[in-house]
Amino acid sequence: MPLPRHLFAPAFRARHLGRSFAFIVGIMVFIATFATAAESALLSLGYNWGQTMESRITVEIPAAGDESTMPQAQRVEQATTLLHAMPGIGTVKPLSDSDVKRLLKPWFDDPSLFKALPLPTLLDVSRQPGATVTAAQIRDNLKNAVPDARVDDHGAWTRDAWRLMHGLTLLGGVTIALAGVTLLITVGMTCGTVAASEHETISLLHVLGADDHDIARHFQAQTERLAVRAAAVAFALALAITGGLMYATRHIADYSALSLLHWVSLAAVLCLIPLCAVGLSTAATRFSVLRLLKSFP
Amino acid sequence: MLLSFENVSLHYSPGHKVLDDVSFTLEDAGFYFLTGPSGAGKSTLLRLIYQSEQPSKGKIRLFGEWLSGKSRARQADLRRRMGIVFQDFRLIPHLTAWENAALPLRLGDSSEAYIQRHSRELLEWVGLGKRLDAYPTELSGGEQQRVAIARAVVARPRLLLADEPTGNVDDHTALKLFHLFDELNKLGTAVILATHQNHLVESFCKPALHLQGGRLVSFTPKAA
Repeated sequence: MPLPRHLFAPAFRARHLGRSFAFIVGIMVFIATFATAAESALLSLGYNWGQTMESRITVEIPAAGDESTMPQAQRVEQATTLLHAMPGIGTVKPLSDSDVKRLLKPWFDDPSLFKALPLPTLLDVSRQPGATVTAAQIRDNLKNAVPDARVDDHGAWTRDAWRLMHGLTLLGGVTIALAGVTLLITVGMTCGTVAASEHETISLLHVLGADDHDIARHFQAQTERLAVRAAAVAFALALAITGGLMYATRHIADYSALSLLHWVSLAAVLCLIPLCAVGLSTAATRFSVLRLLKSFP
Repeated sequence: MLLSFENVSLHYSPGHKVLDDVSFTLEDAGFYFLTGPSGAGKSTLLRLIYQSEQPSKGKIRLFGEWLSGKSRARQADLRRRMGIVFQDFRLIPHLTAWENAALPLRLGDSSEAYIQRHSRELLEWVGLGKRLDAYPTELSGGEQQRVAIARAVVARPRLLLADEPTGNVDDHTALKLFHLFDELNKLGTAVILATHQNHLVESFCKPALHLQGGRLVSFTPKAA
């Protein structure tokens, strides 16, 4: 039968040790949950966005200064034909005038300017899946027919964005690892303090025939109760705040781009965090107490 | 054979021997007094038996097993076969009389129903049936003593060690307690009772080990 639940209760109450322990577990769970949720959402959105961007190349056909040389429509048609003929090219779609105007709107306040200015034609070119066609190859292909065409490969700057995201992921991982280490140190210190203040009781239990595992198990049960409550509250709070932030940023981040599988796996990973925190704190309790008990006769 | 000491000495510093070359053998289910003035080494000898201390020299054999080199788990197992009444009772202040008395049963594999029934019965036997839920601070010295005795015998130990159990009570209560231990002994529990009240020991016809200055000066197999 287990020892009375409140056997070491005064020591946990003294100097608010139990409350401090629960608070630290709570903070660690909150940080780890929040960091994992934010990191995962960011990474997945970045991945979806990057995949779309990396497969696209924009070809800009500047408006011809002298229409008598070759009309703009003909230059666009010629470029489109050449691009279609290239291996690895999927679709070639000219952006409509309204799309171009929408893109330029931040720079031109006066709509009448659009009529006065010669606007370039933008071709949205997609690579076929697995194709390795590069901006330089497209530029080479177009250099005779449309020598002033400009080719913009989105992959170049999405790679920088990826590097930044991977850096953030690493930072998130380090934060979670630090949270775990802090938790282990806190558990060790709390158990040490409780064991020191309950020295008399522990000695008595030994003399009555308790072995180290009986005592460690009792400590473990006590810290487990505290950790479960703290982890549940912190987890709920972190989820609520993450949900709130996602709702607030829904205009700048398209969370609907994330697949159901992603949401399910994210939920599974998140659920593991409080479980891991409770497991880690109880295992650390057992280890610390067993180590401390070895110093008892 | 219950217990044997073979040339056991204990010293904390080179010139200061607390126990000096003590040897004796006690038989199973016996009742033994351990006498001597304060500071003679009675409590130390008991601590060596329940392995709270290790001898500096010599060997101790308990329940047929040598005590040196035992694993902590085996040590705990041997301690579970003993009941101990401490001079200062050592009750846990935030547990009730009943919870204190039931502690040794909770270290075994008894069922909750057995623990409840047996520990309550035992407290009734020592006359505390109406103080089950009292905390140690709410009990008198004599009542605390009886809780400590109930705790020591609740798990039906093979050996009961009592360190000055009558130190805080008058002679009349002390005699009653001695009779209580005698009753337990008749039920098969060996008893080693340390006391400096020689006049009480003399009224019981039991063997006594007499310590003085850490040495066993006499072992009367049967008191006169």
